[in-house]
Amino acid sequence: MNATPRPLHERIRLIGTPVGRMVRVVDFGDEIDPLQREQLHAYGLSAAHAVKVLQQHPLTVLLCEHVELAIEHEVARHVWVEPA
Amino acid sequence: MSHAASLSTFSNPMRTLALVGHPNVGKSVLFHRLTGTYVTVSNYPGTTVEVSRATPRFDREVSLLDTPGVLALPSRSDDERATMRALLNENMRTLIQVGDAKNLRRTLNLTALLAELGVPMVLALNMSDEARARGVSVDTATLAEALALPVVATVATGGEGMGALTDALAHAAIPAPLLRYDEALESRITAVEDLILTHCPHPLLAARGLAILGIGRDAEVDAWLAAQPGGAPVREALAALTAPTGRDTLPARLARQRSAAAEALARTVTQQAGAKDRTLSMLVGRVAVHRVWGWPMLLGVLYLVYLFVGDFGASTLVGLLEEDFFGGVLNPAIVDFVHGHISTPWLADLFVGEYGLWTMGMTYALALILPIVTTFFLAFGVLEDSGYFSRLSVIANRMFAVIGLNGRAVLPMVLGLGCVTMATLTTRILHTPRERLITIYLMALAIPCSAQLGVVLGLLGGISFTATVIWVASIVLVLLFTGWLASKVVPGRRVPLITELPPMRMPVLGNVLKKTGGRLKWYLIEVIPLFLIGTLIMFGLDRSGALPWIIEAGKPLVVGWLGLPPEASAAFVMGFLRRDFGASGLFALQSQLDMVQAVVGMVTITLFVPCIASLMMIVKEQGLRVAALMLAMIIPTAFFIGGVLNHGLRLIF
Repeated sequence: MNATPRPLHERIRLIGTPVGRMVRVVDFGDEIDPLQREQLHAYGLSAAHAVKVLQQHPLTVLLCEHVELAIEHEVARHVWVEPA
Repeated sequence: MSHAASLSTFSNPMRTLALVGHPNVGKSVLFHRLTGTYVTVSNYPGTTVEVSRATPRFDREVSLLDTPGVLALPSRSDDERATMRALLNENMRTLIQVGDAKNLRRTLNLTALLAELGVPMVLALNMSDEARARGVSVDTATLAEALALPVVATVATGGEGMGALTDALAHAAIPAPLLRYDEALESRITAVEDLILTHCPHPLLAARGLAILGIGRDAEVDAWLAAQPGGAPVREALAALTAPTGRDTLPARLARQRSAAAEALARTVTQQAGAKDRTLSMLVGRVAVHRVWGWPMLLGVLYLVYLFVGDFGASTLVGLLEEDFFGGVLNPAIVDFVHGHISTPWLADLFVGEYGLWTMGMTYALALILPIVTTFFLAFGVLEDSGYFSRLSVIANRMFAVIGLNGRAVLPMVLGLGCVTMATLTTRILHTPRERLITIYLMALAIPCSAQLGVVLGLLGGISFTATVIWVASIVLVLLFTGWLASKVVPGRRVPLITELPPMRMPVLGNVLKKTGGRLKWYLIEVIPLFLIGTLIMFGLDRSGALPWIIEAGKPLVVGWLGLPPEASAAFVMGFLRRDFGASGLFALQSQLDMVQAVVGMVTITLFVPCIASLMMIVKEQGLRVAALMLAMIIPTAFFIGGVLNHGLRLIF
């Protein structure tokens, strides 16, 4: 059988993630500029690592290994995450 | 090309060591510790945008570089390119990678690339105190073994680990590579590496590292290859290899695999113990970017700065110095002395007349400007070191979106309140030429430097709070409207904000005082000669009869359109040299100005031409044509806005 395996967790957009939730980054959407995808990688956002959502307004703020990152909604909207 | 011949091509033949690392990890503090040379140190990414060089204390035969922080290599922004240029063009013998101990994964991500350059390295894991406070411990011995290079834990601000770091430099080693890329990438890397080795080997950097950077589309590596006689075949091969092929580009694959290798090693050597989830620093940091509480905090900060600079500096200190000391004691004594010793009236006037070098030039610079900039630089230093400016970029992001920028542009603009010249250089932290162009234009038009700001606050604050509010509102509106127009005219699209928020820290008094001292020294060196030259020009114009003619000729504009006294023309002439000099000229006329005239005068002089030093910096960063175009737009805009404001305010007041 060739059926695609069901993902273990639901995928949601980073922008829709409740504050305080630990999540893992699953994918960056094509809508994000390639240079900004590089930037996100460089800041340490990767599938293997859990991040905590600290706030959603006016920008999405994450805690990624003791470093706080602020991400504008235009980008956070296209970051796909799943519960850690 | 022989190896020895290649080495002789370095601009500085001295053996060079370089501090390299992410932004805001303490490279400049370490530089100060190792060399005794102070470079500006702050708590926000992007403080260093140019390479600094000094001789370290531990070896007088070498040169140590402090490089701008790199978020990642290959280099993308102008400050990252400056670091890459240093790596390519300096006689680089040792790299000291400075990393954030509490974020080892990110540090190792950069190590994974630096390790491929084939230059001996030492890894300084800085801010170890902050890592400990957050329950992070790194097994440095295991890490050193894995990387095959010395690893030293440091706290640069407290001087911890400096001896160990200096000792470790003697054992600097070419690191073991952190990873082998997948087979497809490796074959491409090897192909480019072979071409580099055949056609244009770098005298010091490994061809493999250059190949990885080239495939990652590093613009500086490309420029270096273009400058090499045998670089063409390598560039052709790179162009064919790196042509965009859908979403999963080669640079993205290289970066992802480095990231995975860094993650794996960081997990092996890092232990995370329980740590406080809420500290005061975290709490203040959250409030600063809170959607509701962030604004009252910003207003509170601005009000405190106003009290310290506008009230204490521009009113109390200037009153003491200008009126009481210079006006009451020093200047009468100097005037008596000059008149007693110089019998030629015009020569005496040159020193102590209406446009005298002492009574105008030095008095403006020392009695009026110095107390204002001193208080401003002190307040500015405290805010810089606290980490608040980075948080300001979050709060201001939405407003900056209106002018086609993102909140990151708030940093050069806030720095512009200190000095627009230096802030123009700081625009290098912005990611696109479009962002840089708009930001530089807006700073040249509507960002007053500290001295001018102080004079404005001193004059308007003395009249009424309403006058100050009208001035602020006018400048902000002009900034937003012209920024909005510029964003429509300058081609390109807006880049959304992604930024790091450094931890809020208690400012260190010593650093704030050192920074203030350095800035004041630089300021006075720039200001005093210009003020004296400006005074000399005014004296010449007055003596030759040209000044009365200018005042007469300027009447339709200055009196008719702006509604100012005719003598204000002289202030605008002075403003051509420095805007704060022009503002000082208006300040001297304060007894003749009503509220509307004071506001109109200060708005016009604020928007008036950027000072000569800023203009030179704009020419350096954007070219003569762009600078001339900016100037051609700024002068009419200033007078247009001033006139509109004059006629509008006269309807109300």
